[in-house]
Amino acid sequence: MSKQFLLAAEGVTKSFDGFKAINDLNFYLDKGELRTIIGPNGAGKSTFLDLITGRTRPDTGTIEYKGTPLTKLREYEIYRLGIGRKFQTPSVYSDHTVFENILLGLEGSRSVWPSIFSRVKPEQRERIYEVLKTIGLADKAELKAGTLAHGQKQWLEIGMLLAQNAELLLVDEPAAGMTDEETAKTGELLLSLAGKHTIIVIEHDMVFVRQLGSKVTVLHQGHVLCDGSLDQVQADERVIEVYLGRKKKH
Amino acid sequence: MKQEVSKKEVLIGAIVAVFLIAVIPGLNAFTPAGSSLHVSDFNINLWGQYLCLAIVAVSIDMLWGYTGLLSLGQMLFFSLGGYALGMHLMLMIGKLGQYKSDLPDFMVFLGYTKLPAHWEPFAHFGFAAFAVLWVPGVVAFIFGYLAFRSRIRGVYFSILTQALTYAACLLFFRNELTLGGNNGFTDFKTLLGFDLGTPGTQRGLYIASAVALVLVYALCRWLTLTKFGKVQRAIRDSENRVLFSGYAAANFKLFVFVLAGMIAGLAGALYVPQVGIINPSQMEPAKSLEAIVWVAVGGRASLIGPIIGAIGVNGLKSWASQAFPAYWPIFLGAMFVVVVLFMPRGVVGLPAQIQEAWRRHKRAKEATAEAAAAATQVPKDSQS
Amino acid sequence: MMRPYAQRSLLFLAAVAMTFASLVYADESETAARQSAARAILAPESEQATIVQDMAANPSPVLGPIFEAWQRSQVYIYEAPDGARIPFILMPADGSASKAVRIDNGEPLVGPDGAPIVVDETVMKPAETFAKLRRAMRSTMDLLALADPAPAIRQSAILKLGMKQSPEALPILNARLAKEQDKAVKNGILDAIALINLASPDPQLQIDALNQLKKSNSIPSRELVAKMAADETLSPKVRAAASSTLKAIDNHLFWVDFFGTMFRGVSLGSVLLVVALGLAITFGLMGVINMAHGEIMVVGGYATYLVQCVFGSGVALAPFGISVNLPGFGFDPNSGIYQSYFLFALPVAFLSAAAVGILLERGVIQFLYRRPLESLLATWGVSLVMQQLFRLIFGPANAPVYSPAWLLGSFSVGDVIMNYNRVFVIIFAVAIVVGTSLLLAKTPVGLLIRAVMQDRTTAACMGVRTRKVNTLTFAFGSGLAGLAGAFLSQIGNIGPSTGQTYIVDSFMVVVVGGIGNLIGTVISALGIGTVDQILQTSLRNPVIGKVLVLVGIILFLQWKPSGLFATKGRGLEN
Repeated sequence: MSKQFLLAAEGVTKSFDGFKAINDLNFYLDKGELRTIIGPNGAGKSTFLDLITGRTRPDTGTIEYKGTPLTKLREYEIYRLGIGRKFQTPSVYSDHTVFENILLGLEGSRSVWPSIFSRVKPEQRERIYEVLKTIGLADKAELKAGTLAHGQKQWLEIGMLLAQNAELLLVDEPAAGMTDEETAKTGELLLSLAGKHTIIVIEHDMVFVRQLGSKVTVLHQGHVLCDGSLDQVQADERVIEVYLGRKKKH
Repeated sequence: MKQEVSKKEVLIGAIVAVFLIAVIPGLNAFTPAGSSLHVSDFNINLWGQYLCLAIVAVSIDMLWGYTGLLSLGQMLFFSLGGYALGMHLMLMIGKLGQYKSDLPDFMVFLGYTKLPAHWEPFAHFGFAAFAVLWVPGVVAFIFGYLAFRSRIRGVYFSILTQALTYAACLLFFRNELTLGGNNGFTDFKTLLGFDLGTPGTQRGLYIASAVALVLVYALCRWLTLTKFGKVQRAIRDSENRVLFSGYAAANFKLFVFVLAGMIAGLAGALYVPQVGIINPSQMEPAKSLEAIVWVAVGGRASLIGPIIGAIGVNGLKSWASQAFPAYWPIFLGAMFVVVVLFMPRGVVGLPAQIQEAWRRHKRAKEATAEAAAAATQVPKDSQS
Repeated sequence: MMRPYAQRSLLFLAAVAMTFASLVYADESETAARQSAARAILAPESEQATIVQDMAANPSPVLGPIFEAWQRSQVYIYEAPDGARIPFILMPADGSASKAVRIDNGEPLVGPDGAPIVVDETVMKPAETFAKLRRAMRSTMDLLALADPAPAIRQSAILKLGMKQSPEALPILNARLAKEQDKAVKNGILDAIALINLASPDPQLQIDALNQLKKSNSIPSRELVAKMAADETLSPKVRAAASSTLKAIDNHLFWVDFFGTMFRGVSLGSVLLVVALGLAITFGLMGVINMAHGEIMVVGGYATYLVQCVFGSGVALAPFGISVNLPGFGFDPNSGIYQSYFLFALPVAFLSAAAVGILLERGVIQFLYRRPLESLLATWGVSLVMQQLFRLIFGPANAPVYSPAWLLGSFSVGDVIMNYNRVFVIIFAVAIVVGTSLLLAKTPVGLLIRAVMQDRTTAACMGVRTRKVNTLTFAFGSGLAGLAGAFLSQIGNIGPSTGQTYIVDSFMVVVVGGIGNLIGTVISALGIGTVDQILQTSLRNPVIGKVLVLVGIILFLQWKPSGLFATKGRGLEN
């Protein structure tokens, strides 16, 4: 490898009770890239993100971030390297206010003692409101997150990623459950972040994928089937086969 | 629950604190026995015990109500604190014991001729008072470190804490531990030179318990308002999310667990000279579960709830176990079932619960009125 | 220590009964024996002991009971009107009066008119004995026991003779060896002869004896052999043989201890398994923490108790001050039907515990399926209520449940003692586990249960009535707890707080075994049981052993936090 990738996964395999969710996966990502991963249900998309973020450990293979192996680290250690994740189902602290949700995501110390003795500084407060404005929830700062609509929760979770200022953002189905208008806005937001951050988006919604206009990787049965632009992959015979099942396998 | 301390809250808190710390003991000391305002020596002692139990309840609430850690072994830490001070009290008996020996009676009985080395420092009150905090703290740290490191969560954590207190209980029953075996420690005479048998000393212990409760309450209240408190509740509601937000949840849990253990130890140390005995039965798993009842009945995640629960349930127990002893356990058990099933927020949360139910009822009625044909379903409120 | 003794006296009683039966048909050697016994009783004190000792040469099974009766002051002397003194024994007769039987011929004692003499034993003075005479009787009885029909009695008598190391016994043992048919007893005689020869002055005899003891791994000889190995006055050759024998015996002892510990470990593990199996169903498969599991178990125990009472003379209970009389069939406690009450108690225990389980599931647990911590707390409340109800209904003391006689006693395999009740425990556990896994794996009900436990929502979508299956599963788990209670009543006590003693252990078994897997439960129960026994045996301190087991479990969970066989879920918040 002559080139230093931001994220490099090589020969990764993970099985659950004999079912191979990820099978000899190789995946490389450059710094500043926006990449979309698509694939049919059960292709191993979310499992791949689980493996990157330390939620599960691979059976074999390596995953390196800026040359640091991730496979032995704990979730919060991986996070602290600058990898943030938005989950498929919106996962916000529903009993906390919107403001507090962003506060908990805000970059800065994550240790016990500072959390006891530090106060929210004015510049932190400003930053939180800035994020809230970006995601359109500034007027809902004092509401409990549990009372938000589904789409708003998705935005709030993206907001937590923004507050974190992570270098690599892993975004799992951001547009799920959103109206077309919200989806379009989400797309704009992600595009505006591209370049400053490196982003992996997992998505089913082809309109949204087209809007992102990024390089696409197709996963199938835990393996990279092909990658390229959306048009390229959509023209690929194998992709058509796994999505539509036109031909019999083998 | 409010996230900021209002002036009103501080004021009410101060009034209650003054009442507990000064007014009640004042009524005991300065009013004549016949007066309707008089608080008897018996009641001062009883209330002193209740306040200690309330401190334990607050520590349980910090774990269960705020962090989602249902520890079924909190009375172990309470007992450890009690034993630590108890060792000092045993040494203070001196030659006043039955065997007129410098050694505690049970050691004479077991044939010891010399004080075991680990007992010696407990002759100093300062050491014992410090041990009241660090002994439970260290035990909580070791257990908590192992449990949280390996991600033992939820009911697994509960079951293991129960096993821990059960194991400790078995251990403390043994004479080899030189902690009095199944009789434990009793027949205390003096503390810091004060005769434990006099009303004045008991009043002093009551005041110490009240001050401790107020301080513990204030500390916990403050903690829940900091960012630490927010992380605490975040762990309770969605621990995985916390991990993916970069917090080492295990460290936060460990901190709360150790803190709660030390608070319980303090409560135990204040409790023991007031009841005059500490023995391994305090560590029986049922004792810790009973303490959970106080918190559940009072209302968890509110700090004031556990205090009300501890005092209320124990007051009820004192009365009922006299009035109808055969039925008290049935009543306690049934009360617990009812509270868990129907009052998840306890007595403190009852007004809000009723209000919500009423609002839902009204809304449902309006909805029915608006669309008479379509039967509207009442959304069930899922409890966190 | 009590058990072998009890067993021996039981066998002895059987021998007594047999001899009394033969009283009527006395053969010649018996007649001779009887007559010398009568003579001994009537003889002056100074001669009695000698006569008794000489009787060893003329063994007869009738002598045992006679000596026994004599020692217990149950032999009387009838002074006939003609001046003759006739010793006799009182035999229980059909009526209230006892029947007197003559010692010299085994016939009923009759007066001059031929009518049986009715004796009032309260006014009669028994024939006296004294220490020396009793000793003589005992040693004669030991010799007599060599001819006892029961091999176990012969064995112990032979061993006793050998341990005395008196050469006078050698001819008797040799004579017996020639007649003996039982192989084990023959070996016993060889060992006894060897034991006696250990004290012989002839080194070659000693070495031969040592070799014999080495061959048979004789545990009782260990101390004598050890003494010889350390005795510097003996010749080096003898000492070397002694050390070699000692080594062999110690080696044998190690394995006996080892297998004994393993056996006890497996049987303790089986107890844990039976108790934890119901929990593995409700907690492991359903995710419900039922703190009242122990009390449901106790329901099974009390059900067993009630069945026992119904088979016997009934029982009077006074719950809440209301007196309830449960009539019984009044079977004779020694009858086969009474002895088999336990078989009838099993279904009753299962069904009554299952019924309580259904009440608990419908009344409390069904509201808490998604809130495991709350279900833990609520069921603890239920357990408090149940304990107190037991106390009010059955009283605070343990219920007296008697084990059938066939559960008492033990047998040994190569010096490893196996108690029948421990063997029963293991068989019971195997039966229950096999039954449960067959039910889960092979029946339609089992299929439904597994479907709901794996994925509640999907099962519901496929038309499974999950509510019903939940109730059914819980009832089944509770029924198993009931069986465990019936079972515990046979090997331990059943009281209001019995459930509490098992609850922590059985939760540990399930936690270590892992959720949703019966094999995990089996391995974990047997593992915990065996480790517990090994620690108890090696530390000689049950409490420290138990505490170490708990510490070990906590450390084990560091390595495998979700137990031995965790079925890995993929949900977000698990």
